[in-house]
Amino acid sequence: MNSILIVAYGNPLRSDDGVAWRVAEALEGKFPPQHVEILALHQLAPELADTASLFHSVFFVDAAPPGQTTDSTAGQLQIKEIRTQDIDPNQMTRFSHALTPRGVLALTQALYHSFPQAFSITITGQHFDHGESLSPSIVAALPDLIARIEQRIQESLSSGTRI
Amino acid sequence: MKQGNTIVIDPVTRIEGHSKITLHLNHDGRVEEARFHVTQFRGFEKLAEGRPFYEMPSLMARICGICPVSHLIASAKACDSLLAVKIPPTADKLRRIFGLAQVTQSHALSLFHLSSPDLLLGMDADPAKSNIFGVAEKNPALALDGIRLRQFGQKIIEQLGGKRIHPAWIVPGGVSEPLTEANRDAILWAIPDALAIAERTLEWFKSTMEGFREEISTFGNFPTMFMGIVKKDNGLTFYDGKLRIVDASGHVVADDLDPTQYYDYIGEKVEPWSYLKSSYYKPKGFPDGIYRVGPLARLNVADRCGTPRADQELAEFHELQRTAVLSSFHYHHARLIEILYCIERLEQLLNDPEILSKHVRAVARPNALEGVGAAEAPRGTLFHHYKIDEQGLIRWVNLIIATGQNNLAMNRSVLQVAKHFVQGKRLTPGMLNRVEAVIRCYDPCLSCSTHASGQMDLQIQLVSASGEILDEVVRR
Repeated sequence: MNSILIVAYGNPLRSDDGVAWRVAEALEGKFPPQHVEILALHQLAPELADTASLFHSVFFVDAAPPGQTTDSTAGQLQIKEIRTQDIDPNQMTRFSHALTPRGVLALTQALYHSFPQAFSITITGQHFDHGESLSPSIVAALPDLIARIEQRIQESLSSGTRI
Repeated sequence: MKQGNTIVIDPVTRIEGHSKITLHLNHDGRVEEARFHVTQFRGFEKLAEGRPFYEMPSLMARICGICPVSHLIASAKACDSLLAVKIPPTADKLRRIFGLAQVTQSHALSLFHLSSPDLLLGMDADPAKSNIFGVAEKNPALALDGIRLRQFGQKIIEQLGGKRIHPAWIVPGGVSEPLTEANRDAILWAIPDALAIAERTLEWFKSTMEGFREEISTFGNFPTMFMGIVKKDNGLTFYDGKLRIVDASGHVVADDLDPTQYYDYIGEKVEPWSYLKSSYYKPKGFPDGIYRVGPLARLNVADRCGTPRADQELAEFHELQRTAVLSSFHYHHARLIEILYCIERLEQLLNDPEILSKHVRAVARPNALEGVGAAEAPRGTLFHHYKIDEQGLIRWVNLIIATGQNNLAMNRSVLQVAKHFVQGKRLTPGMLNRVEAVIRCYDPCLSCSTHASGQMDLQIQLVSASGEILDEVVRR
């Protein structure tokens, strides 16, 4: 079984919504490819459940508007573990065209009988309008964000038992 | 809103994009009028002005995160016209393979992930369960089949285009890279499994149809014309051919129409309540020129598929009705037959002796100032029309998208369903789901690549003539 899957998702044509793609680009080549796989996606679709089932750990990296994070300051990072008990298929959104990380994990559990160690890494964005540029506050925070995410993944790689 | 009551469903769930449905009630509480509103605006036609023409395929692919390949193909064909080149035969075949893979994965998304909850759990199922998780719980094998079929199509796109979403492999004049032997063999290796999934899903779908008699008779079951591109022998195709239009009785209204002259026979009307234009067949005027496109239309206009298993299924499909097959519920059935066709046709093309040829691109400078590209996208006929200046910069763009061509039919379908199922001043989940489900039959693609921000709520309000909210439902 592989070690770590990093799923960076968002829309790079919607300004800060694409910050996860920048993180993915920056992390490319920083870890041994046999241990860490990185995907950059626009949205989380059901087939990701299959991929997730092949890994010990999955990190979902995404951006969220200020109102949807605990710290509304642009450029803040929030890392949360997603546990089996957090998943309730009856509380899932009526799927339109994108799943949440919990939705992906619920499918992984239901269809592949597997539940990887999972974390959501959410970056508070500022602007989500059309555009390929990140807002200045996110650009300024990006090096530190990348370093912290890299460190967190490095910790998982070094931590042993599950990897 | 001024007279009677209004029910608003906003947004509609399990479709590609954001929209809402308004049901207007009369004083007796009966549905009098229905409107399907598209509430988002992209404006890609304006965004393209001033860009070099050769950027258009990759730029236009950004219109949609679900079916970028269809836009790539139509756009590249418009650019081929600007170059005035005939692309190499292998490039033609490779583009077809790309398109067939796209149709397979897009149809799989529509059927397995968006509509199978309705088909498997029923229209009156608990809304909390009526989603892919409910399908995974009740019939995990079906959910797994959906995932595997999607992966099959996406893998081909990735193997040819380098990435699954927004691949830039199709270029003006052909494709940028030939197919490798290893990739061809990998795709061929996966075909038997994909074919088996298509076969058993089709059998499963047909076995469920008896339970949906009422929906079949009321889900967009009315006379319209149908339009699609067919081959010279009137066979099914997604890439190239002539346009054919049949009426509700199945008689040919127009044949051998040149898709590049679409503006002679397709008109578009703007309604003040939606950003989605309504297309109509010009000779019949608006709104009598209503027609449908997409899987149901393609199978109504085609005489044959041209592959053995799909031809058997098409013959059975045509037996559903002595006229054209009218109910939009049968879009699902048509979609599954098309998946079968796509997989069979992929195998034929991949076994073509020319398919590994290295000659895959014609190079030229612009030789015309105007070009049109047309192809069959998963949801229906797609037109890209460009005008450039002497420097090759885009001066004018017109796009006619399948969902717009189905707009009149979708509105009429919502009205038919609402008149039949929505009664009284209280809304039940079953009523609402059927109103949404008829829209899902068309698999409309509205927002395309926009990334939904926040949760997709479903809000329904029942408002009296005086503005009082009589009933309100919010589903998350």
